[in-house]
Amino acid sequence: MPTIDQISETVFRDTINRAVQDVFKTMLGRTAVLHTASDVANADGTPWEHPVQIDGQQVVGTVGFIGDISGLIYLYLTVDFANEIAGYMLSMSSSELTDSGHEVVNDAVGELTNMTVGTFKNQLADKGFPCRLTIPSILRGSNFSIEPVSSATRRIYRFSIGPSVLVIDLLMKTGD
Amino acid sequence: MRYKILTVDDSKTVRIIVKKAFKSFDCEIIEASNGVEGLAAASKEKPDLILLDITMPVMDGVEMLTKIKASHELKSIPVIMLTAEGGRDNVLKIAKIGVRDYIVKPFKEEVLVEKCGRVISLKPLTDGPIKTKSVFDPAIILVVEDKPAIITQIQDGLKHTPWKVHGVHNPADAIEFCNRTPPDAIIISLTLPEEASIPLFRQIRQNVKSKYTPIFGLVIKTDLALQQQGQQVGFSHILTKPIDNAELEARIAKAMNLDTSQRYFMVDGDVFVMRLPAVTNAPVISEMLGYLKSKVAEAVDSGIVKAVIDLHELKGITPEIIKLLIQAMATCKDLALQFTLVGNSQIISECKSSEDTRNWQFHDSLADAKASFAKGSPITPQPAGAA
Repeated sequence: MPTIDQISETVFRDTINRAVQDVFKTMLGRTAVLHTASDVANADGTPWEHPVQIDGQQVVGTVGFIGDISGLIYLYLTVDFANEIAGYMLSMSSSELTDSGHEVVNDAVGELTNMTVGTFKNQLADKGFPCRLTIPSILRGSNFSIEPVSSATRRIYRFSIGPSVLVIDLLMKTGD
Repeated sequence: MRYKILTVDDSKTVRIIVKKAFKSFDCEIIEASNGVEGLAAASKEKPDLILLDITMPVMDGVEMLTKIKASHELKSIPVIMLTAEGGRDNVLKIAKIGVRDYIVKPFKEEVLVEKCGRVISLKPLTDGPIKTKSVFDPAIILVVEDKPAIITQIQDGLKHTPWKVHGVHNPADAIEFCNRTPPDAIIISLTLPEEASIPLFRQIRQNVKSKYTPIFGLVIKTDLALQQQGQQVGFSHILTKPIDNAELEARIAKAMNLDTSQRYFMVDGDVFVMRLPAVTNAPVISEMLGYLKSKVAEAVDSGIVKAVIDLHELKGITPEIIKLLIQAMATCKDLALQFTLVGNSQIISECKSSEDTRNWQFHDSLADAKASFAKGSPITPQPAGAA
């Protein structure tokens, strides 16, 4: 059975890049451009710096994958971009979204996260790492950071989608 | 029959997208947010198709699918998986339980509709059950013909209609056009290069948007074998070259189920007018007879008591036209509608020379006829050729 160590950084980057491109093009008709990709950061006990750098109110979608490889992926978006995405996917105006409350936007971001993580893990499954998705969840707020446990590796990918920013935070359980 | 589609997904967003995708089709969308709700909805509603997610709380899609297949009552309902859970092994494992198709998210609405359209016969929603399109409404006619002269000929032949005739020269452009702007009728040359006509016909028929669009074959009059082949394949009608423009227009109007009555019957102020066109041939007479009683009744019902039978455009009288006129007069009489005739010198002269029509008297114009009602002295001929 292949191990996670055999997956190169290039494969991780290409796989997440393809997943983001595919989902944003298909569901939103938008082109995502990968700007920066962090090197893998191994947990060595030193504290994490807050790497996401999205200003203001954020909506963060997360979906996990469990199986021969396990991990979590977070999608960080600004509230404005999250509202824009929900409006497009559901054909709703901004006033309709406001009237509907957070629940509608949360659900849309959750589904977009589900699709992105699904596309990512399906490619890894076809490379010999079968795993299953978990149910999405959403965090909202500002000026917060999400820290992994020490046994995880972390990769950060920053995309621009038109004038908006999307940050992908990929946390994976190490192969021990 | 209105189809029912059950969408089982814990994401409200996906359920809304599914609803949106099918909003222009005659089907009902039923929603459930997990496998337990999905099974209950399937038992109650007996849907014609189930769209099923996998990762859901309470009961996931694989468990629900297994229960459906174990149920005598539900196992025949086709299931299409709509899920972010892809991967070859996963898909194969679920396909073995028994699914009609497998759509991996993200998905385009068109792909969803197209795949569902292969399982159930989706019909586009009409504008409404009562409103019928008229010959005076705009329509889009697509002509697929590699010979530009024929396209021009059809465009010229139909330029007096409100229809827009678009010509394309090959199947790829035709498919692209159909996807972008679904036409109201399509004419395909049966002699496209590389025998592409019939595969193109089939491809257009497979697209849910153009599944019910009338498609005409176009072929030279003498090529009987190709005409027969086109009929067997299922073309709505085979048109022949040289093109008879009047026939072409009539065939298209009929195939599009257009209301042509306004060509012959109209209300002008407080007068009901039945107008015979210059060329009133057998198909026109048949069309007019089809509308006659209902149109006269409609006029009377709306409070009209005066009618003019207007022959001023007519170029000549035939026994069939006389029969039509006699029937029109009888219908007016039955419904107590005052009526009178308008004719040109040629028609008046021809009527004078025929036994059945020699006593018919005419006004010179519609204005004269209308004025005669005002004076209380319309010239009312006796129907059924009575002197």
